[in-house]
Amino acid sequence: MFDWSIPDELALIVETTRELGRAHLTPHVREAEAARGVAQEIAARFAETGLAALELPAALDGAELGAVARALVNEELGAADPGAALALDPLGPALYAVLEAGGEGAVREHLLPLLAKPGARALLVSAHDARLETRGDRLRGLVPWVPSDRADLLVYVTDDEVVLAREGIAAKSLRGAGLRAAGASELTLDAPICARFLDGEAVGEALARSRIYYASLLVGVLRQAAETSRSYAMSRVAFGRPIAHHQSLAFLIADMRTAVDGARALVQEAAWHLDDGRPAEALAAAAFAEAIEASTFVGPNGIQILGGHGFMQDYPVEKHMREARALGLLLGGFDAAREDAGESLCAAGAPVALSLGER
Amino acid sequence: MDFTVDKETAERLARIRQLGATQIRPLGIEADRLGRPVPPDHDYYKLLLKMGLGRTRWSPDPKPSASAEERGGPGNSRATIHLAEEQAYWDRGVASSSPGPGLGEPPVLSMGTEDQKRRFLGPFVEPEKPRWGSFAMTEPGAGSDVAAIKASCVKDGDAWVLNGEKSFAANASRADWIVVWATTDPSLGRAGHRAFVVEKGTSGLGNFKIEKKMGIKGYESTSFTLQDCRVPAANLLGGEGHYGARAGFKGAMKTFNATRPLIASNAVGIGRAALDEALAFAREHERLHDVRVRDRLERIARKLRMARLLTLKAAWLADHEQPNMLEASMCKALAPAVAYEAASLGMELLGAVGGRGDHLIEKLFRDVKAMDIVEGTGQIQRIVMARQLVNLPNERGA
Repeated sequence: MFDWSIPDELALIVETTRELGRAHLTPHVREAEAARGVAQEIAARFAETGLAALELPAALDGAELGAVARALVNEELGAADPGAALALDPLGPALYAVLEAGGEGAVREHLLPLLAKPGARALLVSAHDARLETRGDRLRGLVPWVPSDRADLLVYVTDDEVVLAREGIAAKSLRGAGLRAAGASELTLDAPICARFLDGEAVGEALARSRIYYASLLVGVLRQAAETSRSYAMSRVAFGRPIAHHQSLAFLIADMRTAVDGARALVQEAAWHLDDGRPAEALAAAAFAEAIEASTFVGPNGIQILGGHGFMQDYPVEKHMREARALGLLLGGFDAAREDAGESLCAAGAPVALSLGER
Repeated sequence: MDFTVDKETAERLARIRQLGATQIRPLGIEADRLGRPVPPDHDYYKLLLKMGLGRTRWSPDPKPSASAEERGGPGNSRATIHLAEEQAYWDRGVASSSPGPGLGEPPVLSMGTEDQKRRFLGPFVEPEKPRWGSFAMTEPGAGSDVAAIKASCVKDGDAWVLNGEKSFAANASRADWIVVWATTDPSLGRAGHRAFVVEKGTSGLGNFKIEKKMGIKGYESTSFTLQDCRVPAANLLGGEGHYGARAGFKGAMKTFNATRPLIASNAVGIGRAALDEALAFAREHERLHDVRVRDRLERIARKLRMARLLTLKAAWLADHEQPNMLEASMCKALAPAVAYEAASLGMELLGAVGGRGDHLIEKLFRDVKAMDIVEGTGQIQRIVMARQLVNLPNERGA
């Protein structure tokens, strides 16, 4: 039976993440943007929390929590600073591809060493994001943008293959449209392949988990954008009353809240399906698409409500819009997500719409 | 966290699917073609009764002191949401014509005395024949602004005398009784509201007119008049002591808070039907390879699923006795618009076939519009949400 409650243990993790974000990330968002990274003492404090091992298998000393935990934690981190959230997670969605395709052994060999390396980043790049070629034992080509200043391990996923490269990756620093706290660079690869796994099913699962990862960060950003502008609208007076009490803005604020809650609902539903071992690739794709679509509504309107102030960097809403747009470009963004969700919908025989899972 | 339906609900959904394919949808199409509701003596209603439907939630043996756990866990309006969605999938009009106390039940349950519950809901415990209850708030001059009703009530000895007009009351002409909202003094606004159970055959209750509608024709939306209609004082819901501190209006609003997610689920059901039909048509006509078509179908499926989840969330909150006014209005604002988009896209895919007026999608396209109007328009829902989110003041200053 439909139930939105979360276990106490997980609620505590979420609350701790929220407090950490509020205390240590949100107050320093502009500094982190300028520094293209998170201050060392903050990174050390987050490392102590063990959030990077949230989904690592227990056999690898991880918490082995699933996609729902990730979705809840990432929403909090996204609300605090999504760029910093990426910077603070050395493994990121690369974990999913390596774990699903290569198993625990591959994670131990290729990813765990990064946890001991300050500032290290494993990056997941899909065939939607870059045109890379595998020739013999080398991976070659250009990745126009990754939200990172370094690539300690690059995990490239095609429709049916996961390819890993560690050496031969040249990173050229970019300004970055958003997520600057995570860094930004163009990658040129002429890299020896250090591992490759042919497993289409694993790629599908990894892509679903990765979409939930980014979609939940997006939900966090949007929640913060909606809340910041709602709060501002309550205090800003125009024409003799708070601007929130002019019906056009009151309705807009209501619709923004709906957009955020709706995207969150889809993200959490897809995450739950993943954790329950149910088919979730199409759900995750749809959830990511919805979060991106919501970002194109909530992001700009967050600024709109603040008017001229919103355009200035004294307020965070301009950053929210940029961050949300940048997050929505990853893994092929909106079009790739729609394509995957739409293909699944059309491939099934009618009537298919929204069939309910049963216990 | 859990996103599945339990076994019992799944079985009930399967029964509705069976009933839907064999009875509900064919009856809905017939009612639409003939332009009249399913007649009250139709065998379909007797079948529903045999299936255990058409009954009240009220029990003559209440245990008011029992905790939620003692009653078998939290409430289960989530199951009701699933069932309402499935019924509307097959035909929302016919579903609304189902026997039972209907929208009249929530105010009797929430405001009525134990004696009133026994008198008015008792016959619905094990009805020997199909029975209906009804609810009448809307008037020709008071739709969304329910505080502006003009129907009057004046105390006269051991009775109240009601005068006025009511509009769009579901199943009113076939109902055993109608919960009628009236005012002691329109200048008092909400403070003047009173709710009466007006029984069939009461002198002065009449001029029933079943309205001609653009859609959802399977059930009657009925206007009627009250002309010096004498209602026993014992039929004032809750008794006179109940009506301090705007309790009357709050009673009405409580009814709406409970039913908004139901309407949202109805909308999701209609939208699902439109999506399924659109998919089938597009498949049959080899349109699914067209990215424009596929993208739009994907968007509809995604939005409908989102609307369903938000609706279930509102119900889940209610089941756990947590405030859900924001969520109830949120799903009610969202779902009808999404469902309309589904039906409209269906028409688009049909093209000229949609213009013929004989395709199910064309009927759904007409049916669905009502979902954005009944139980508070989308605009009213946003006002309710804004009151929660930004303390939007009431225009009357109340």
